[in-house]
Amino acid sequence: MSSGPSGRGTGSPIARLVEAFHRLPGIGPKSAQRLAYHVLRAPAEEARSLADALLEVKERVTLCGSCQNLTERDPCALCEDAGRDRSLLCVVEEPLDVVAIERTGGFRGLFHVLHGVISPADGIGPEELKIEELLRRLRERDEGVGEVIVATNPNLEGEATAMYLARLLRPLGLRVTRLARGLPAGADLEYADDLTLGRALEFRQEV
Amino acid sequence: MPGRAPRVIRTEAVVLRHRRLGEADRIVTLLTPGHGKRDAVAKGALRPRSRLAGPLEPLSLVELVLARGRTLDIITQAESRQSFPQLHAGLERLAAALYLLELTDRLTVEQQEPDAVFELLLEALGRLERGDGLHLVSRTFELALLEAAGFRPEWERCVACARSLAADEAAWSALAGGVLCRPCAAGHPEAGPLDGRALRVLRAYQQSPYEEAARIRLDPDLAARLEQVMHALARATAERDLGSARFVAAARTAGGLPAAEAAPGEAP
Repeated sequence: MSSGPSGRGTGSPIARLVEAFHRLPGIGPKSAQRLAYHVLRAPAEEARSLADALLEVKERVTLCGSCQNLTERDPCALCEDAGRDRSLLCVVEEPLDVVAIERTGGFRGLFHVLHGVISPADGIGPEELKIEELLRRLRERDEGVGEVIVATNPNLEGEATAMYLARLLRPLGLRVTRLARGLPAGADLEYADDLTLGRALEFRQEV
Repeated sequence: MPGRAPRVIRTEAVVLRHRRLGEADRIVTLLTPGHGKRDAVAKGALRPRSRLAGPLEPLSLVELVLARGRTLDIITQAESRQSFPQLHAGLERLAAALYLLELTDRLTVEQQEPDAVFELLLEALGRLERGDGLHLVSRTFELALLEAAGFRPEWERCVACARSLAADEAAWSALAGGVLCRPCAAGHPEAGPLDGRALRVLRAYQQSPYEEAARIRLDPDLAARLEQVMHALARATAERDLGSARFVAAARTAGGLPAAEAAPGEAP
């Protein structure tokens, strides 16, 4: 029912491409047009590799059945790595948080990705996250986890999620810890909020 | 209002919620004592070293400076006044506080709120912070907020025929906003029975000062009934599901533990 030489609406390939770019986050109508015309002028090879990459990411990347991280094979490389410490499990909000923690080089345990954080006012409750998968993993598969490190963000939603997880996990006989909270490098005491400064004092360390 | 609105406002505010704006900014929903509920932009609040991010977390009282923008105000300074540490120390208390925030947000209209709502919310958060019963604080706040927002529920007389009702003969309807006598309830298919004990407590909560309301003992069954009624009323008035009301229930049952944070006078 679409198509036709008019060039208007969703029928025209250019309009469809502009529309598709416009749906991406952070892309307004002008940027969408610019991107579409860039593709139009680029060599066919470039357009094809972009199309292939788009399809491939949707077809090949799935969630790891164990840690729920994005992966091309299930179980993922991290979960399969025999060199990881299986007694430590770090729970994070998003796949990018795994990357961030891996970058520190200070953690050799396993991960679990929640794919979000409890945010009741936005309609995101525990059921919307990969919490059931986490419980199943800890209860049923005997991976030998002894400590769960809850590495959600140090904000209201992250705290709510951490406390909720702690409630669920403690009855399983696990040690549940939370990332320390305090002053970021380069911070200024004068501008720190009370809660942060309070925690920084509470969890002070000997120098 | 005489004169022109000032270009800069200095005000206290309770942060109700925030949402992302583009890559690094946030839109923060504020409840202020003198300027109602309003949205304002916290520029750069998503950057790690932002001086605005910490104080502007929801569930905190801040003092801030707002510059009037064309559409949205811009937050130029923010300083924490009260961060309610006890509310962050327990799951059920936190869930109750989040519910108060969402309810306030949903039942108020931008820039037209009576100043009373700010005081009500701050008072209720203060009571949660000092350890008062979660049910007591939540129910008395709901009733006071509904009244301040112009949705005062009717617990004494039938909302259809205005007949005074004894506590044990009342039905009620969230949509109708109060109790109904038996004959009138027939015309309201959504109406349901209302426990006489629960109704007596609701009447007392609505009519007496907080200190007196605090003396009423609630057993777990009664507390659950009251919560059911008030959550249904809140949902009907807000005309939407309140996610935080569901989280209050989820928090209570998480881990299969009994409610551990109830205060004296409430469920064990």
